[in-house]
Amino acid sequence: MNKLRKFAALALVVPLSIALAACGGNGTASAPASTSAAASGPKSGTLTVWCWDPTFNIYAMNEAAKIYQKDNPDVKINVVETPWDDLQTKLTTLAQSQETKQLPDIFLMQNNAFQKNVINYPDLFKDYSQSSVDFSQFPQGVTAYSTVDGKNYGLPFDNGTAITALRTDVLKEAGFTIDDFTDITWSDFLAKGKVVKEKTGKPLLSGQAGSADMIMMMLQSAGASLFDAEGKPTISNNAALLKAIDTYQQLVKAGVFAEVNSWDEYVGSFVNSNVAGTINGVWIMGSIQSAKDQSGKWAITNLPKLDGVDGATNYSANGGSSWAISSNANYELASDFLAKTFAGSKELYETILPSSGALANWLPMAESSVYAAPQKFFGDQAVFKKVIEFSQQVPKNNTGAYYYEGRDAVSAAITKIVNGTDPSAALDEAQKAVEFAMK
Amino acid sequence: MSLLASASASGQVSGTAPGSGDVTPSRKRRFGIEQRRNVTGWVFLLPAAALILLMNFYPMAQAFILSLKTGRGTRLNFADPLWYNYQRLMQDETFKLTVQNTFIYLIVQVPIMLVLALILANLLNDKNLRFKGLWRTAIFLPCAVSLVSYSLVFRTMFSTDGLVNDMLMGLHFIDSPINWLGQTGTARLVIILGLLWRWTGYNMVFYLAALQNLDYSTLEAARIDGAGSWRTFWHVTVPQLRPMILLTAIMSTNGTIQLFDESWNLTQGGPAYTSMTMSHYLFELSFQKNPNFGYGAALSYVILIMVALLAAIQMKVGDKRD
Repeated sequence: MNKLRKFAALALVVPLSIALAACGGNGTASAPASTSAAASGPKSGTLTVWCWDPTFNIYAMNEAAKIYQKDNPDVKINVVETPWDDLQTKLTTLAQSQETKQLPDIFLMQNNAFQKNVINYPDLFKDYSQSSVDFSQFPQGVTAYSTVDGKNYGLPFDNGTAITALRTDVLKEAGFTIDDFTDITWSDFLAKGKVVKEKTGKPLLSGQAGSADMIMMMLQSAGASLFDAEGKPTISNNAALLKAIDTYQQLVKAGVFAEVNSWDEYVGSFVNSNVAGTINGVWIMGSIQSAKDQSGKWAITNLPKLDGVDGATNYSANGGSSWAISSNANYELASDFLAKTFAGSKELYETILPSSGALANWLPMAESSVYAAPQKFFGDQAVFKKVIEFSQQVPKNNTGAYYYEGRDAVSAAITKIVNGTDPSAALDEAQKAVEFAMK
Repeated sequence: MSLLASASASGQVSGTAPGSGDVTPSRKRRFGIEQRRNVTGWVFLLPAAALILLMNFYPMAQAFILSLKTGRGTRLNFADPLWYNYQRLMQDETFKLTVQNTFIYLIVQVPIMLVLALILANLLNDKNLRFKGLWRTAIFLPCAVSLVSYSLVFRTMFSTDGLVNDMLMGLHFIDSPINWLGQTGTARLVIILGLLWRWTGYNMVFYLAALQNLDYSTLEAARIDGAGSWRTFWHVTVPQLRPMILLTAIMSTNGTIQLFDESWNLTQGGPAYTSMTMSHYLFELSFQKNPNFGYGAALSYVILIMVALLAAIQMKVGDKRD
């Protein structure tokens, strides 16, 4: 009965949103508080913000509010906890029903979903390229996620720069140091990984079976993508992609990369010392540091690069999110707030980094002393400074509106390839699937 | 819901139909009172009827119109030709795969579940059984568990380092852990196991209820005539339960064709879409990928047609009354 009800709810949303669209009439609603902001001097008003993690981005937003309120005591920031999946569903429903009046002033959005939402629902977003936010102070690879037709719709918040994190004690046992894994290629990594596996019995990496995360990071490290500049899928005959899949397969076959089934298992694999490292967005450091007993036994470095691929680098990214200003926002206030906090306050980033691990994309932070402080957990490496340096070298990649379609098609292809299908045939099939989805 | 409501309603209507025939002759004689009664009846019916009309049938009509439109997000236009989305479904390899998956679940799981439920109901209906309430509660209890939480528990149990693998390895049935959710066959098996666990008790309760209404003298008569317990069950109990079996079959078919939670929570549709159900695909098309609501609505109508067809076939086959 319950499953029926679940489905019914689903089936209802679709037509209901249309019904609402009919009632909503023209969506050019006036924003309630948009006129109250003065050109200069202390501002007043309330900003509503949607974001999802109480220990991470909600915390950061609240800290930002405190900093902004020092100069503008009459401004209130009202943070509403909205899990990402809900946020996406809400945005979709509001856009379909053109009830943009119900949008918050500011909301956080996954970088990979940014293009899709801006392209499909342009009336949800406010272009703030002309605001006081200086977008040139963020790495190009990161602002690219939220830039559509040369207009900036998002201010990068958390850093998705990819890192290789390894257990130095395990490496030592196998006769390696972290330097042996710095600035190397994947074939080096594979060879050394085999030695580690042989001597310690531990794989160097793990990940969810059938997930394309690893492949996508390899792809971006070579500046390649599943889509070309016009947004057409480039999955078949994509040399970088074939190389990435081949590399992945070799890693799995050699036992250097252990496949697991769920995210919890993945985190468990290195927290329980079954696996001696991981490659992921820098936010994975939060999970790594949950294993208190492993303090001092970790170190980070850059990624291996793909062999024989044009434009291959040792840098990539996975995930991350950006702040968007909604079309319903008190624009003056919202853009001023963001410009003075997330794009202008060292104090903010210095507060949120040690307590929540929220690493800035804002380049001026690279010189901060807090960022340069050695971290005990990572064997006194100044890891944060390092990551900011990495982030500047991450090649731009084109996610396009159909990122999720592309990623899922490639995920399915990987599963088939691991089960014995010819790689180029599986990729041709994936290409067709994406082209079909884009029709 | 609306599908269930209409399916079960029509089941009940056909059940009560013979009684309503008797009213007609008396209606003409006492016209005034009868009419007033009718009005009162309609007044009582009106709020519910209006709500169903507004909340169920109006959106269904809108969804049908939506299914004729195409475009991403809010940029929807009527498709050319109008049935474009339906045409497109026929070419959609992923959709075909999800149909196949859903029917595998349906064909394997529903018969096993209904037979199991029938057997359990009979066992628990035994007059001499002790702790009857306890057994009944225990078997029905899974149904009170939220779909999401049981799916998550199943996922943990069947993970590579989960309980099931540990047990099988401890008993030396297998040497290395089985990647239950990572392979097509086993992933589907786990979903079917989950469904059996969750829904068998639910259907059993229907049979138990029907068994209470069964005239005990028919069973006694069978026994006196020398029928064994199997013959009694097959030739006396089951025929009398037929309307209830029909109802549960239709409901289970409905439910399975619209299966969503298990596919979503247990396997995320993987590996490579081979355990994804139609409803999961519909959700993905509308909310996860580039929103294509027209196409999603078309898919929902195809599901509706399938449910209606299957229910019709079952009514035809299962309902032997003249």
